[in-house]
Amino acid sequence: MPKWENRCKIALSGVGYSKVTRSADVPLAAHALEAVRGAVTDSGLKLEDIDGLSTYPELPATGHAEVDGISVVSVNCMMAMLKLPNLTWHMQVGSNNIGGAVQQAVNALIAGVCKYAVVWRAMHNPKGTYQNLPGSQAVGATQFTGPFGFGGPGQHMAVAYTRYLERHNQSREKMVTLALTQRQHTQHNPHAFFYGTPLTREDYFKSRMVAYPFCLYDCDIPVQGAVAVVLTTADRARDLKPKPAYLAGYGQRLHFEVAGRIGSLADYMEGGASSAKLTWERSGFAPKDVDVAQIYDGFSASVLYGLESYGFCKQGEALDFIQGGRIGFDGELPLNTFGGSLGTGRIHGLWHIIEGALQASGRAGSRQIKNVNVSFVGASAPIVTGTTFIFTRESY
Amino acid sequence: MSDWSQVTRPVPVPNEWTRPFWEAARRGSLELQRCQSCRSFQHPPYATCVKCVSVDLQFEPVRGVGSIYAYTIMYHSGDKRFASAVPYASIIVELDDAPGALLAGNLLGVPYTEAKVGRRVEVVFEKLNDDITLPQFKLAAS
Repeated sequence: MPKWENRCKIALSGVGYSKVTRSADVPLAAHALEAVRGAVTDSGLKLEDIDGLSTYPELPATGHAEVDGISVVSVNCMMAMLKLPNLTWHMQVGSNNIGGAVQQAVNALIAGVCKYAVVWRAMHNPKGTYQNLPGSQAVGATQFTGPFGFGGPGQHMAVAYTRYLERHNQSREKMVTLALTQRQHTQHNPHAFFYGTPLTREDYFKSRMVAYPFCLYDCDIPVQGAVAVVLTTADRARDLKPKPAYLAGYGQRLHFEVAGRIGSLADYMEGGASSAKLTWERSGFAPKDVDVAQIYDGFSASVLYGLESYGFCKQGEALDFIQGGRIGFDGELPLNTFGGSLGTGRIHGLWHIIEGALQASGRAGSRQIKNVNVSFVGASAPIVTGTTFIFTRESY
Repeated sequence: MSDWSQVTRPVPVPNEWTRPFWEAARRGSLELQRCQSCRSFQHPPYATCVKCVSVDLQFEPVRGVGSIYAYTIMYHSGDKRFASAVPYASIIVELDDAPGALLAGNLLGVPYTEAKVGRRVEVVFEKLNDDITLPQFKLAAS
C-alpha cells in the first residue's frame, strides 16, 4: 500500500481557546469568537487572511433547543460575525464529528480552494438536566431502547463496557489509573476546566456511580467553551509564527452502524480499526512508531476501545496496558497529555487534535514529551463517527 | 429489587418498518425481521438485510430465550420517568435464534445485581396499553 500522495503537505498552525466555564454565562458565539481569534493570532495572521471556515455544530444534549449562537455556532453564524472579506470556502459537516470538519478543511486546502482555514468546536452546557427526557413517546430508533430506560449516551457506552469487562475478565477498578494520570496531566494545561483541581484515588473510588460501570470520574463534565485551529498548506505554514505540525495521514470510521443497535462491542472495534488502518497506511507509520497519543475520552472506556482497535495493544489488554506509568509523561506511550476531555471538560475531539499537533510541533509547554516525531490522535469514540490523525514534527 | 410501579415508560411509536414487531408483541409473540435470501435475523428492523443487502425481509417468530450480551445498572436519576426505579438493570439480549440481533430490555423479577454477561434469560411480555406490549426479560427457568 503506497503512502498518501498528500502526506505532510498540510499543516496545523495556530490554536486558540476560549474560557471554559461550567455554566453558559455568555452566548456560545462569544466563546467561539474568542477561540477563533486566538487561533488566528497564534498563527500571526489577521482575520482578513482567513478564507476557509469549517465546523461540526452539534449539541450532544437531549431535549434542548438548538439556537444558533447560543447552543451551537454554525458556519453561517461565524460568517455573519466575522464578515471575512476574502472568504472562498466554507463547510459544516453532519457526520464524522469535528474530525470530519478538520478533514474537509484539509481536503479544501489540498484542492487549492482556500489558503488558511479555521476550524472550531463550540460546546454548550444547557441549563437544567443535560439529557432532558420528558417525552411520553419513544419515536424512531429510540422505540427499542427508550422504553427500557436507555436515556443518554452514557448508558449506551456503559453496556459495551460491561460486555468488555466480563468477556475479558477485567475489573473497572483498574480505570482509576487513567483518571488519575489524566488529571495529573490536566495540571499542566491552564485552559482546562479541572486545572488546579487535583483528583485522588479515594475521590475516584468514593464517587457516585452514574451508569455502572461508569462512576462520576469516568464521564467528562459538561461545560461551555470552544477551541479552534488554523490549517494551511505546509509551505505556507513554514512562513507563519508557530512551528507547524505536519499532517502525515488521516482516516475515518468505515464500519456500518445500524441505528438503534446498542451495546455491540464489535461495532466499536471494527469502527476504530477501519479508521486507524487508513491512517497507518497513508502515513506509513505503525503503532510502534508513535511517540505520544491523544485518544478521545468523553467516557473513559472509549480510551480502551481506541487503544485496542487502533492497534496499540491486544483486545482485552488495555486496562493492563495503561498501568505501571506507561501512559504518563515519562512513559512508553504518553496518553492524553493535555488531560483529555476528563480534564478539559466536554469540548469533544478538536482539543485532542490540538494537543496532537502541539506535541508534534514541540509547543506543548510544561507537558511537552521529549523527542516527539510521530503524534497520534483518535478524535472521537471509535463507533461514533470516529476519525484518526497522525501529526509529525518532520515534514518528510 | 427495582420498583417499576411508578415508572412512566415512553411508549414506542411504530413506523412502517417496526409495526410488525409491535403487532406480534401485542399478541404475545416475539417476531424479528428475517432476510428471505440469507435467512439471517436482524434487529432493530432496517431497510435492507445488513448481511447480504437483500430487500426481501419478513417478520418471523423466534423463541424468546437467549443470553445477556451486555447490561448497565442505572444510578443516575436525571431521567425523571425512571427515577423511582433507580438503581435498575437495563440489559441487551442476544437471542439463541438470532445471533447478532441485539434486543434491549430490563431484567425483571430479580435484584439488579443478578445482571451478568452470559446469564440465561427468557422473554416476558409487559402490557403498556391496548396497542403496545413490551417484550421484557426475566432469568430463564433452569
